[in-house]
Amino acid sequence: MSQKIRRSQPLLPGETGRFAAILSGVILFLAVTPILTMIVMSFSGSANLDFPPSSYSLQWYKAAWQTFVSPDESDVLSLGKAMTTSLMVACLTMIFATLIAVPASYALTRCEFRGKAFAMQLMSLPLVFPMVVLGLALLLVFDSLPFQLNTSRLVIAHVILALPFVIKNCTASMMTIGSEVEEAAQMLGASPTRAIVDVVVPLMKSGILAGMLLAFIVSFNEFTVTYFLYNIDVMTVPIWMYSRTVSSLDPTVFSFAVLIVLIDFVLIWALEKLVGEGGVSF
Amino acid sequence: MTGLILENVEKFYGSACAVTDVNLHLPQGKLVCFLGPSGCGKTTLLRMIAGLETITSGEIRLDGEDVSHTPAHERNFGMVFQSLALFPHMTVGENIAYPLKLRGVDKAAQKARVTELLAMIQLQQMVDRPVAKLSGGQRQRVAIARAIASHPKLLLLDEPLSALDAKLRESMQVEIRQLQKQLNITTILVTHDQREAMTMADIVVVLGEHRVQQVGTPIEIYRNPANAFVADFIGSGNIFAAKALGGGRVQLPAGDALDVPISDTIKAGAEIRMLVRPEDLQLSRSDAAAVNRLNGTVTFIRDIGATIETTVDCGGVSLTALSTPNQSLGLNVGHPVSVTIPAEACRVLSA
Repeated sequence: MSQKIRRSQPLLPGETGRFAAILSGVILFLAVTPILTMIVMSFSGSANLDFPPSSYSLQWYKAAWQTFVSPDESDVLSLGKAMTTSLMVACLTMIFATLIAVPASYALTRCEFRGKAFAMQLMSLPLVFPMVVLGLALLLVFDSLPFQLNTSRLVIAHVILALPFVIKNCTASMMTIGSEVEEAAQMLGASPTRAIVDVVVPLMKSGILAGMLLAFIVSFNEFTVTYFLYNIDVMTVPIWMYSRTVSSLDPTVFSFAVLIVLIDFVLIWALEKLVGEGGVSF
Repeated sequence: MTGLILENVEKFYGSACAVTDVNLHLPQGKLVCFLGPSGCGKTTLLRMIAGLETITSGEIRLDGEDVSHTPAHERNFGMVFQSLALFPHMTVGENIAYPLKLRGVDKAAQKARVTELLAMIQLQQMVDRPVAKLSGGQRQRVAIARAIASHPKLLLLDEPLSALDAKLRESMQVEIRQLQKQLNITTILVTHDQREAMTMADIVVVLGEHRVQQVGTPIEIYRNPANAFVADFIGSGNIFAAKALGGGRVQLPAGDALDVPISDTIKAGAEIRMLVRPEDLQLSRSDAAAVNRLNGTVTFIRDIGATIETTVDCGGVSLTALSTPNQSLGLNVGHPVSVTIPAEACRVLSA
């Protein structure tokens, strides 16, 4: 009887065993289950929320399209208008967060000043602060102002929320730039400001782009804080979807949700493409 | 007066002294080496000349003009950094053209100058290459070309060769030296490598313990070190304590007396230190008494092929002699041997 040759070689670092592979498969599956469920539901053929659906159709996509092109009179606000607001707020958030984050991350990496550690902690505060409390606090602040802010108050709130992500990415790429290239530019005749524009900013490009896209995504998906600050004229897509779900829960929202997931997916893909391996920090 | 003059330049970080009491005159067209161990303040001094570091007090003048407080970007000094600091987002050509672009030189003239410089460093085909795609030596050349593109008044080199392997470093030393002579540009090279300093420099400035220890030609520094610090730092030397006897003689701790060229200002009975270079010592098997001949025992032999270093213990004084293989006496550790110290090879150190 021929003896089976058993491979008893130990695993090298970087190799995984079967158990580890199965475990990670299960965890990944759990992570995408909600999204998969939602995609399946959006193709439901029945009028209720039974899972799995008894039949499949494109009716909710048709309904969603109808809502989009010819909004119901009963709708408080059209999806088109919510979409416009969302995009505008997201773009403005992206621009302002970047304009703040680039100089901030330069200062946080290059300059030595008192309270630097404190400033860095303050920057990441929105990450750990309870969203509901932040929303409430912002509402109090904006209501106490002598003038009325509509879209801009959403932008201000979103910039606060997006800033830690943008600063983190910009700082990460700033860290890789040695001060010698900046000094070299100055020795060659560039004023300190010119050196930053010509050398530092181009070298930070990947971090800046990653930060910009993240800011866009954070703003586009934001719900909790926006919920405190929206009003009847200024509503973002997540708020619009929520209010529609509350008033009449039908699978139409799933079709919208699938669209939004698609948009986010494309953005994150673009992000990874732009920045390359290991460049983005969320 | 032409050239670079440093007058009482000093730099303090708070109360910590980086470099103090620097008075130098670097003549136009010379290559000057700042040589010293790490932490001696040589890079700080170079950065102050560059304008990348403020000076605490003193004055820096170039061709009579005070530049002590001129911002770095208005000095028009070329500089090659230790990391080279090429711009990774620009091509070779764009890197070299950058200082010209900043000076508003028109496109055609920029292109002509870049072509001229690339021809000089023999990298004509590389103009559109990203700098990341170059080898170490090529990057080195591009960094130098970029530094001299705007015809700077001074070229500063901050240990630019330290990242290269030994062979490439030696050929770059020669290349930089030839280029410097051809351009006749006043150049300062910072290094901790004395071989590099000896190869390249017209004038060596030895820095140590935050101040200038000696200024001179490489051979002066080697042959006539001003003090024990320079003697110890430059080359390998036998440094030992002795007592002056007067009449051109000194006494070693074990009692042997040596004839040395000692100045009359040192009184008999004074404790002094002596320097003898290893290549000046002569080994022999004969133990017959002679002038300046010490008897001892071999304690260590380092045979590295081209040269043989023999360490001999002569009554408590350890002397290392350098010989070539054809002078070899076939010694082994433990053998008795005689060491002759020629009087003219001895240096009495001031401290």
